[in-house]
Amino acid sequence: MLALTEDKRPQPGRDAGPLLSVDEIEVTLFTRAGKLTAVDRLSLEVKSGETLAIVGESGCGKSISALALMGLLPWPPAKLTHGKVVLEDRDLARLSEREMQDVRGKDLAMIFQDPMSSLNPVLTVGEQIVEVIARHDPASRKAMRERALELMRKVKIPDAERRFGDYPHQLSGGMNQRIVIAMAIACQPKLLIADEPTTALDVTIQAQILELMKDLQAETGMGLIIITHDLGVVAETADRVLVMYAGRKVEEGTVDTVFDEPLHPYTRGLMGATPSATDQPHGRLSEIPGSVPALAALPVGCAFNNRCPSAFERCFAERPVLTRPAAGRQVACFAVQQEGA
Amino acid sequence: MSMTSTASPAVTAPTETVTPPAAITPVVLSGKRRAPFIDFVLRFARNRAALVGLLLVVILIAVALAAPYYYPRDPLRIVGRPELWPFANPRFPLGTDSLGRDIAAVVAHGARTTLMIGLFASLTATIIGVSVGATAAYFGGWVDEVLMRVTELFQTVPNIIFILTVVAVLGQNITNITIAVGVVSWTAIARMTRAEFLSLRDREFVQACRAMGMGNIRIMLGEILPNALPPVIVLSSLVVASAVLFESSVSFLGLGDPNVASWGGLIGQGRTLIRSSWYICAVPGLAIMLTVLALNLVGDGLNDALNPKLRDR
Amino acid sequence: MSILSARSLSVRFETPRGTLQAVNDVSLDVNERETVGLVGESGCGKSTLGKALMRLVPAAEGRIFVSGQDITRLGSKAIAAIRSDVQMIFQDPYGSLNPRHTVGKIIGQPLSVAGWKRADIKARVCELVDKVGLPQAALDRFPHEFSGGQRQRIGIARALALNPKVVICDEPVSALDVSVRAQVINLMKDLQAETGVSFLFISHDLSVVEHISDRLLVMYLGRVVESGKAADIWPAPAHPYTAALLAAAPVANPKLARSRTRKTLQGELPSPLNPPQGCAFHTRCPIAQARCHEERPLLRSIEGHAGRQVACHFDLVTHQKTPDLAATETSYVSA
Repeated sequence: MLALTEDKRPQPGRDAGPLLSVDEIEVTLFTRAGKLTAVDRLSLEVKSGETLAIVGESGCGKSISALALMGLLPWPPAKLTHGKVVLEDRDLARLSEREMQDVRGKDLAMIFQDPMSSLNPVLTVGEQIVEVIARHDPASRKAMRERALELMRKVKIPDAERRFGDYPHQLSGGMNQRIVIAMAIACQPKLLIADEPTTALDVTIQAQILELMKDLQAETGMGLIIITHDLGVVAETADRVLVMYAGRKVEEGTVDTVFDEPLHPYTRGLMGATPSATDQPHGRLSEIPGSVPALAALPVGCAFNNRCPSAFERCFAERPVLTRPAAGRQVACFAVQQEGA
Repeated sequence: MSMTSTASPAVTAPTETVTPPAAITPVVLSGKRRAPFIDFVLRFARNRAALVGLLLVVILIAVALAAPYYYPRDPLRIVGRPELWPFANPRFPLGTDSLGRDIAAVVAHGARTTLMIGLFASLTATIIGVSVGATAAYFGGWVDEVLMRVTELFQTVPNIIFILTVVAVLGQNITNITIAVGVVSWTAIARMTRAEFLSLRDREFVQACRAMGMGNIRIMLGEILPNALPPVIVLSSLVVASAVLFESSVSFLGLGDPNVASWGGLIGQGRTLIRSSWYICAVPGLAIMLTVLALNLVGDGLNDALNPKLRDR
Repeated sequence: MSILSARSLSVRFETPRGTLQAVNDVSLDVNERETVGLVGESGCGKSTLGKALMRLVPAAEGRIFVSGQDITRLGSKAIAAIRSDVQMIFQDPYGSLNPRHTVGKIIGQPLSVAGWKRADIKARVCELVDKVGLPQAALDRFPHEFSGGQRQRIGIARALALNPKVVICDEPVSALDVSVRAQVINLMKDLQAETGVSFLFISHDLSVVEHISDRLLVMYLGRVVESGKAADIWPAPAHPYTAALLAAAPVANPKLARSRTRKTLQGELPSPLNPPQGCAFHTRCPIAQARCHEERPLLRSIEGHAGRQVACHFDLVTHQKTPDLAATETSYVSA
């Protein structure tokens, strides 16, 4: 009996199986115009203590994938129509809403892009943290207040005692994002999903928040999924990267291999299009022609074929499946396959 | 340049498997493209209740237009025995009232009155409301302050008492009633227009127009107003409904135009006989109810069709 | 010659909680065929400065010159005449185009305001859509039928319609996706090469500003804290705030990101309603001394560095006082 309960907690450092394994999830949007596949058979894994970055441009399905993992898909129109989301050994996709409510906030937490809109404007920030604790781990009022204060200190909010009674509008964006993080980590989640956590913040504040998230992860050993469009944020935080385009995974690998040697033409395009301190100023940025296709108007074959510099006949006829050119590396591209063969 | 190159010139797509969409070169210019008006009609038609409402309104308009044709003579003249029940005499399908006037003729001609008052009152209210609201929001400061206080002043006066006073002082005719109804109904439109203008005033496209040196009037009328209009139109359609009710109330109280057939007037006359001949009240009452309901349904449909938040893009 | 200049420009707003000094004593020059970058975090007054230069918000003090003509107090009639010289590109590609007008009408608006004839407008508009890489078919469409990047092209076409001498670009690519951002930046550079237009490029994104700018102004709480050639500032920032901004910007290179020991700037932006005494940056500055709390440093030229100015008592170029910050920067650039 004792041994059973002991196994439940993730043990950072001990290399076990994946903490989260997502198997071929598919999110379908049921719209008046018909069914659209927003996320197309996406699989991924995250280990305890590991950071996975999901990169892509707007409309690539990265945020909706995160919502799918959280069981927060807005119905209508979005629905998880296929696949498993296994956290440790439970398939979250099969849980009822009620059971899922127990998982959310406790085992699985999420932070969103805009801290202002993820906080309730009429409650003090302290109360909002207490609320999360009360939901999952109730204790006496005083004890919970203490816990909340401790969390606020943990996310480095100066003068936590005084800030406890402040309302969100009295705090800056960066401070509010810290509150949101404090709420997310209140019940020591095993996995934290951060959807563009720093996009709404200034650079200097972004640096602070990224650093804070790294520190918290090192301390608690939680798994972390960061969703971003910013390759800079990926390079700064992630262990592994997953690149999405038009609802599909096009490339995955460790952060070093993907940045050193991007395989998919889209990944390469993204990197060329990002101005960075290392390239010579005033040079021409390499651009990806065209724009992200609408879900309703995806081209036949590879979704990237109409913007791809190396597309050939096969790309217009068939959809490339993921191949593994190396251990821990995946790419979905016929041109890469041809080169490798 | 880069836009047109998206079809990747180097690539020759196999003709069989790929059906090259007609609009693959200009990227987003593909997709179904409909004229905005057709789009609007389709969205309106999606709301079934609104279609029913529209049908009722169309019938009402047809009745109003046809009235002088079917009942060419004065509907207020006495034509037969008083208090004839509906269907009792085939000449008077809806019966006669306490004085022996043909209810069908009164209702048909009353539809004209009702529609005229509804439309013109709503038009008056919309013109005043939009002008006040737009001016207040666009110029802000003391202009806003003054205009909004005036609006509040009008809001605090009980509507029906204001109308009755105007009619009593200026005389019981249809023009005065219309103006009085219009004058009490503009406040809501003014507030709505002001709110819309306030949110649009600082939008970047308005700033862009300022930056190119466009004049204030042109910005207000040409740039902001078309964007602010949809909710205002919805509100105006609802003002038509409330104007119908106001007119009926005024006539019911005996302050309507005595020379014009009106639904409210008919109810007013019939109310003393409600125990014996309830149909005298019921027929025009039903007409008022259906008209107001229909106008509200149409307003709802317009809201669906015009409200961009519901647009499925 | 400078096309657009400001001298000691200040902008104030009255708010319920007091006076907000959004722009404080800022001077700048934009020369012909030049791109001047204006960087800073939100609330530093960079957008307000842009709007003040366009006369969209009134200047409290100071003067604005366009091609040497003082436009600070010009009336609305007279200002209309110089509108053709100074134009603006906005941040939000969704908000900056009137959703009720066709693209053709939107692009032609500055021309019709300037009193062009209908036929001339049509010809010019056709030329402009071509120039910004949109198909002619776009002219009859409405803005919502376009993607963000394409809308920004429409905005650029509108700004360039009257052949302005300078375009003020307020965060023109911040709302765009990475791949599209590169298209728009390249387009702006191409157009500059072609027409000789100057840009005042306002952005919070250092990598973009660095890429496009010839000269640079860094703002903090309404004041310029550093200015100079971009090529000089980037390798060796003089103001500790500039250094911190550079250090905070994430680098799209994981090895570099790991190797550099980053010193994160602590604290938050003080309220602009109640800016700190002395140097406004002293509350967050890693090298602040007692003097910084009391005495506000003036913008001064750095000796031996032509064209560079800094507002710091202990700037990092003349005083090599902060080994940690300086070290961060060298490793960052050398790699």
